[in-house]
Order: sequence, then structure tokens, then C-alpha cells
Amino acid sequence: MDKKSFKGYLYLLPSIIIMVCFTLYPLVRAIIMSFLGDYSIINDSYNSIGFENYKALFSDPDFGKSLINTAIYVVCVVPASIILSLLFAVLINSCKKLKALFQTIYFLPYVTSVIAIGIVWRWMFNSNYGLINYVLSIFGVEPIQWLNLPEYAMPALIIFAIWKSMAFNILIFLAGLQTIPEDLYRAARIDSTPRLRVFTRITVPSLAPMIVYSSVIGMIGAFKVYNEVFSLFQGKAGPANSAMTIVYYIYDKFYNSYKYGVAAAGSVVLFLIILALTQIQLKVTGGRKK
Amino acid sequence: MKSNRKIANIIAEVLKYVILIAGSVFTILPFVWMISSSLKTPAELVQVPPALFPEVPQWLNYKSAWEAAPFARYLVNTIIVTICTTAGVLVTTVLSAFAFSRLNFPGKKTVFSLFLATLMIPGEMLIITNYETIIKLKWIDSYRAMIVPWISSAFYIYLLTRFFMQVPESLYLAAKVDKCSDFKYMIKIMVPMNKQAIFSIAILNIISSWNAFLWPLLVTNSQEMRVLSNGLVRFQTEAGSSTELIMAASCILVMPIIIIYLFLRKYIIEGVTRSGLKG
Amino acid sequence: MKMKKLGASILATIMAASMLAGCGQSSNQTAETSADAQASETTEVAADASTAAGETAGEKTIEPTEITFWHYMTGNLEETLTALTDEFNSTNEYGITVTLVNQGYASDLQTKLQASAAADALPDLTQAYNNWLTPYLDKIVHLDDFVANDFDNWDDIVEAYRGECSEFGFVHAVPFNKSTYVLFYNKTLFDELGIEAPKTWADVEADAKIVSDAKGIAFIGYDDSTGAIEATLKQNGESFVDETGALFDTDGGREAFEYLSNLYSNGYARLVGEDGYFSNVISNQNIASYVGSSAGVSYITAEGWELGVAPLPGNKVNAANMAGTNIVMFSQDTNKQLAAWEYLKFLTSTESTSKWAVSTGYLPVRQSAYETAEYKAYMEENICAAACYEQSKDFFYSPTFDASNDIRNSVSPAFEQLVLDKADAQTWFDTILSTINAQY
Repeated sequence: MDKKSFKGYLYLLPSIIIMVCFTLYPLVRAIIMSFLGDYSIINDSYNSIGFENYKALFSDPDFGKSLINTAIYVVCVVPASIILSLLFAVLINSCKKLKALFQTIYFLPYVTSVIAIGIVWRWMFNSNYGLINYVLSIFGVEPIQWLNLPEYAMPALIIFAIWKSMAFNILIFLAGLQTIPEDLYRAARIDSTPRLRVFTRITVPSLAPMIVYSSVIGMIGAFKVYNEVFSLFQGKAGPANSAMTIVYYIYDKFYNSYKYGVAAAGSVVLFLIILALTQIQLKVTGGRKK
Repeated sequence: MKSNRKIANIIAEVLKYVILIAGSVFTILPFVWMISSSLKTPAELVQVPPALFPEVPQWLNYKSAWEAAPFARYLVNTIIVTICTTAGVLVTTVLSAFAFSRLNFPGKKTVFSLFLATLMIPGEMLIITNYETIIKLKWIDSYRAMIVPWISSAFYIYLLTRFFMQVPESLYLAAKVDKCSDFKYMIKIMVPMNKQAIFSIAILNIISSWNAFLWPLLVTNSQEMRVLSNGLVRFQTEAGSSTELIMAASCILVMPIIIIYLFLRKYIIEGVTRSGLKG
Repeated sequence: MKMKKLGASILATIMAASMLAGCGQSSNQTAETSADAQASETTEVAADASTAAGETAGEKTIEPTEITFWHYMTGNLEETLTALTDEFNSTNEYGITVTLVNQGYASDLQTKLQASAAADALPDLTQAYNNWLTPYLDKIVHLDDFVANDFDNWDDIVEAYRGECSEFGFVHAVPFNKSTYVLFYNKTLFDELGIEAPKTWADVEADAKIVSDAKGIAFIGYDDSTGAIEATLKQNGESFVDETGALFDTDGGREAFEYLSNLYSNGYARLVGEDGYFSNVISNQNIASYVGSSAGVSYITAEGWELGVAPLPGNKVNAANMAGTNIVMFSQDTNKQLAAWEYLKFLTSTESTSKWAVSTGYLPVRQSAYETAEYKAYMEENICAAACYEQSKDFFYSPTFDASNDIRNSVSPAFEQLVLDKADAQTWFDTILSTINAQY
């Protein structure tokens, strides 16, 4: 339709300048760093060029563990969070009276500082007097050592993360719901279409772009999980490193072990994983849409 | 038939509220706990079993937390940084999203993918290089060091592009016929129609900018340039932490955002009518 | 050769592609100049230091100047540091002004120092642990000549601190906020069960059995698990690690792990787990005693029970870990070095260090400070300070070398896993040994 021109770049210029200086340049530097053996960020020295860092990375069992943990985390948190958020967003949107109140309440988790809320969640997960075990005990479940035993560290992290990520998704979905023309619903009401069908035939397809967005962004974010681990386990990666994630591993290598090259290699691997998965995700969802 | 349906509707309504209220309890409980902890004594905090509310609210905790750092100055800085960053983000985001959703230019797909790719690298890797850049620019200890690197975000550009794409193409073509310039179309039609999305971006950015911690700490040296979240660490040491004060400070930190949220919500969202969509 | 140049030129290409040559050029240039500057600066530092110290022997002249000091002290600690610094600023005869800059939490300061070393923007002075410094050791001012020519009795500084401040082969720091690991115990509970604070491993095992039988709670815990292994080995006359590898493949080493393994598998010792710090656990009376930093005493809430503090129990010998940072100098300009040194002399003087110690609970860095009336009176009423003093001859420090951070980071999770598995002594020994040797 419209012929191509460079005018688009005029609109993009501000963003491009900032991104080139503060994201692309450090990114390129990190990629180069990942191929330099024994690289020091302090005086830019290195011993060799090659795949030394990648070899070190893949022979480290901790990195393997962090890959598995992160994969489990992504697979559990992203879909659960989106489904729950979708449910709550639609329910909130259909409220007449308390809509504003619910909207505010469900947004609260996004607002607070991770430090404080991590402490609160540690209290909720406490095995002796934590609220979660108390609720479970009503259903006859024995107290669970959420934060003390390696096998429960990931489940605890996942519950915390779902709680935290829902707020963002609900906000996006509620914004998306505003753009659905009222006419569609009105027509459905006249035809007395069942609620479930309205949901699957009108709401979900209209929200598709937001759902795709949330799942892509949610997945990218979930792969980069770090703050949640840090705050829930007080700066550690859970009992016996049982909740070690990729970014935790990278952070640790970079800032505590000064293995800059290995940390950079870890980032590149993470980058490639996310890149591949988002491409698949966009293909799949894009294909289904039209 | 009809009454059956009515009953089903009532049950559905009740069920809806039950789910929403149960979800609210789950969502809000950590906050209630945060507030109640901020009013407890250190002994009450570790007491077994814990009490949901303190016996005597320790309002002094707020006074101690407030006095532990020059929070008034921090507040002013935080507001300046947050407003400037958010304004910048909104401008760059609207412009870029418009370009990606409506304009045709060579290399559009590549640039868009590149934007998206920037989200995939952990920010922890970028910090030191960016810090070096700030030092080279001689921006250390200034507002722009805290603002400029954050005024563009692929995260929001991607989001708003999604929303802009939702707007029917026919509207754009009609505007073209009316000789409406691209820029005018963006300001007059696209922006008002996506108020809720823009509001969401504003609030998300306000929060992330408000809570930013490590970057402001890195690029500032003087107390006069620090922000609120930097005050939070004042209650933690290597040997232990004063949880009640952290909680009090967190409450102080969070309140302004909740107020901003409610304010923006009331004045921006409620003004949105859906009529614009019928075009 | 230089990676920054390589990165910058690639960047420049990208930016040219996106029609941004202007921005690219400037960052390209700055990258080059700073890389060049770095190379020459590092060689200058050492030279500067010797000339600066040389001057001090003769007539001393220091131009008025401003010194920045990065620290992570908060609350009362920061207030005390500020008061001392104000005193220095108003009384020194040279017009030196020291500006204090709080850089957040210790780990934030660590990150900021690392970034600043990379950007060549280090402060004149900073608090630092030795293990933070390994990536930028060459940027530190050597203090040997200052100490030799212009310091009031270096031998008065507590011996272990002196060792720690010169472990890289030169004097790289002066000690500042020092603390040590002591045994905190529930005195009320001990009195009730008729036991005394344990002095030896055998005492620990005997007391633990009594507590365990009577109350069903653990007897001891360690806030720092890697430190616990190191101290236990030292108490048995053995060593932990050095730059060549693990040093405890001996009978004495095996005994130490037998001791630890028994404590945990019998339930006499426990991990801190969800409680974060043992100060929380003992506040709830869920443990009888624990080994933690003396700097953490204020976080123990002793309501309904009385707190006791004792030196660490020993076996063949006594040994106690020390903790806390030292002050390192990075100034490149001779005048600033002299000025910063004046401040360091002031902070480490007998008078300042005892003032600092009395008001913060950290330990004095000088032997002579322990003899002052002020500090003696303080120890009379402060059981924690008294216990620290009692073991001050037994302090040891953990050596810092390339692999030491990795060892610390990998031993702690391995330790936790061993406790959770209720592993036997042999497994403890083998696992820790192989974990350590994998880090070199």
C-alpha cells in the first residue's frame, strides 16, 4: 500500500540512539568477552581467543543444574501465571461495582520492593508458623519444609513468582479488554450465547495480541529470573544451591568469582536459548492467529 | 427455563465474587503482613506463633526509618528521576510503536527483531559497561545519568506496537484520504484510542523507575543525589537486619506509588470512552 | 589487542549502519584514551607511593585537599564514623577534608568498586575485604613505606590484622571494622541444665547431649559454614586451603570432619535454613548456642532469657575466625596519598580505635587500645567484647588467592547437602576435599 521510505527511522531515532549506546554496545562487548580466555574487565587483558569459556561453562555441573532449574521455572510459571491472570482479568472486567477496588488489589504485588516482599514470603513459607502450612494443615497436609529442603525450594520459588507476575499480566489483559468493542458482547447477549463460548470465541481471540505479548515477555522475564531467588533465599540460591538459576549463576560468576568471560558466555547461551524459543513461540502463535 | 437460567446466572455471579475475593486475600495478605510487621517490635516479629497484628502499634518505627536517611531529599530526587524517565519513555515508545505499526521502511523487521533481542540479555551483564560509559561522558552524580539510559525500552515499545496494531487499518487510510499527516494522526487518533495501554506503560515505568536501586547507587556518589530505594539498605548489615524498619521504609516507599496509581486511574481511565473505537 | 577497541570498532560499524556515526566516534575515542591512560597509570602508582613516603621523612608539607572515603556503614556505625571524621577534618593542621560516601550494602560497595576499577574511577579510600581486591590488586597503593617511615608502632596493631593487611606481599591496607566469631549461648538454659559454656569439642558433645535429651533442640549452629570448617580444622592444628590446594588430607583433618559429621548426624547441630540468621533462632530459644559474628550481637533479642557470650571452643589449640573489612588506598596523586595517610593514622590511633570500638561493638585494632581505661570499662559491662578479647590471641584470617572465592561459594552448598544427607565422616571428608580441589 504505502511505499517504503526512511521516514520511519525519524520516529525511531530517539530509541535507536539510546539502545545503541546503552544496550547494543554492552551487548556486543559481552559477546566478544565470551570468547576471550581469562578476560579481565579491569584492564581489558586476556590470554587466549576461542571457546575456552564455553567449555568451562558446559563442564560446570552448577551451570547444568541452573539450566534445568530455569527450564522448570519457565514451564511452570509462564502458563500458570497467564491462565490465572486471564481468569482474574475477565472476572474483574465483568464486575460492575467493585471493579476499581479489585483492579487496585490485584495490581499491588507489582508495586512493592522485592527486598520487603521477599521477607514477607519467607514468613509465609515458614515451616513452623507460616501461613501456607497453616492453610495446608486444615486439609490435613503435614508441615512442608519449603525453604529448608532442596526438593521444595523450586516449588516455593514458583509459587512466589506466580504471585508476583500475575499483577503485570492482569494489568495488560485489562487494558486489552478495553479495546474489545462493546458491540461484539452486545450481539452475543442478544443471541444469548453461553458465557464460556463468549469467552473462547470473543474474549480470547480479541486478547490474542496481549496474550502473545504476555507469554513472550513472560518467558523472557522468566528465563532471566534472579531477584526472586535472591530475595526469597536471602542472597543464596536455596538450600544446597537447589534453586540456582541461569542468571544467578551468571551474576555469581561475574561479581563474586570475577570470571567475566564465563559469565559472558553464560549470557550468550541464555540469549540464544531465549532467541530460539521466542522465534518458535512467535511462529506458532502467529500462524494460528490468521 | 427462564428461571433456571436466572438461578444459573446468580450462581455464576456468586462464584465469580468468591473466586475474586479468594484471589484478593491471596494477593493482599503479603501487604497486610508488611504493614503489620512495620508496626511490630523486634520480639513480636520472631514470636512463635506469630500474631497478625502487633499488641501496641509501634509508630515510632516509621519515625526511626524516616530519620535513618535524608528521605525528604531522596523523595525529591526520586520524583524528578521518575517523572523525567517516564516522560521520556512515553515519547520514545509512542514514536517507535507508531513507526513499527503503521509506517513502512526498509529493514523494519530486522530493526524490530533487534529491539526485541535487547530484552534477552540479562541486565546484570550490561551494568559495568554502561557505568564506564557514564564515567566517560562525565555524567557521574547527575540526574541525566539516572534518566537517559532508561528513556527507551523495547519492553514497552513491543507492548504498544501490539496495541497500535489492534487499531483498524481503515482508520489510517481514511485519515490519509483526509490529508491528515502521520504525526497528527498519531497524536490525534492513536494516542487517545490507546489511553489505557499508555497509562499501563506509564504506571509500569513509574514503578520500575521508583524502585530502581543498583543503577542509581552506582552512578551517584553524594547523598544529595540518592533516591528512596537506596535508603532501604540502611537497615541491613552482614550480621543481621532490622526487619521492622525495612518494612516501615518499604511502606513509605510504596505509598506514593499507590496514590499515583489511584490518581492516574481516576483521571485518565475514567475519561476514556469506547466510542472512538467505532470509527 | 585491546578488547575495548575491538568492541568499539564493531559498535562504530553498527552505528554507521544505523546512521549514527556521531555517537560512535565519541565513544570510540574515549575508549582508546582510557585504555592508554590505564596502562601508564598502573606503573605510576607504585612510583608515587615511594616518593610520597620518602618525603615524609623530611619536612612534611601537604596542600589542602579533599579525600573521598567509600564505606558501607549504616545507622550507629555511620554516625560514629562521621563523628570521628568530623573530628579529623576540624583538627588536622593541613586543611584536609575527608568526605564520607555511603555505597549501600557491603555487596553493593563490592560491585561499585569493581565497576569503578574498570572505569578508572576509584575513590581515594575505601573499606574492602581482601577477596574483593584480587581483580584490581595493581591499582592499590603500596603502604609499606608509609608504615615504615610514618606510623606510630605498627607492631601495636593486632598481629592477625597485620598479617591480613599484608597477605599479598605488601602492605595493602590498614585494619578498620574488625570483628570475630564467638559462641553466643542461652545462659538461662545452660544454668537450668547445669552446664557451662563449652571450652573444648568434648564439652560441646557432652553439653549437646544434655540439651538434646532435655529439650529436644539443637545445641549449636554456624552462621558461616565454610568458616566453620576452616575454624574446626585450625582448632585441630590443621590448615584449610592455600593457593596450591586443600591442606587437610591428614589424620587431624579427618578428625575435624568426624567431629562435624557427628554433631550434625546426631542432631546436635543444625542449619539456619529458613530463619536466615541464627540470631533469630536463638531469640526464639530454638537453639542453645551458635557461632556468629560479634558484630551481630545487637540482632539477638533476649526476652525472657539471658544471653551469654564465650570464646570458641577448641581442641588441640584454640582458633577463631575474624571478619570485617580494612581500608585500602587508591589515590594516584602524591599529595592525596599523604593526606589520606594522615587520615588513616588518625583512624587507627589508640584513641580513635577505642572510641570506635566502644561505640560500635567492633574490635579495637591496636593492642594498646585494650589497655585504655575507656575500653577496660567497656569490657566490664559488655560480655561480648570481653569474650572477643579473651580469644584475640587465637585469631586467624582466611587466605585470599585466585580460587578462594570459588572455594567459599562452592563449599557452603556442599556443606548444606552433607547435613541434609546426614552424611558420615568419610563422605564429609571426601566431598569437601573434592569440591575444593575442583576449584583450581
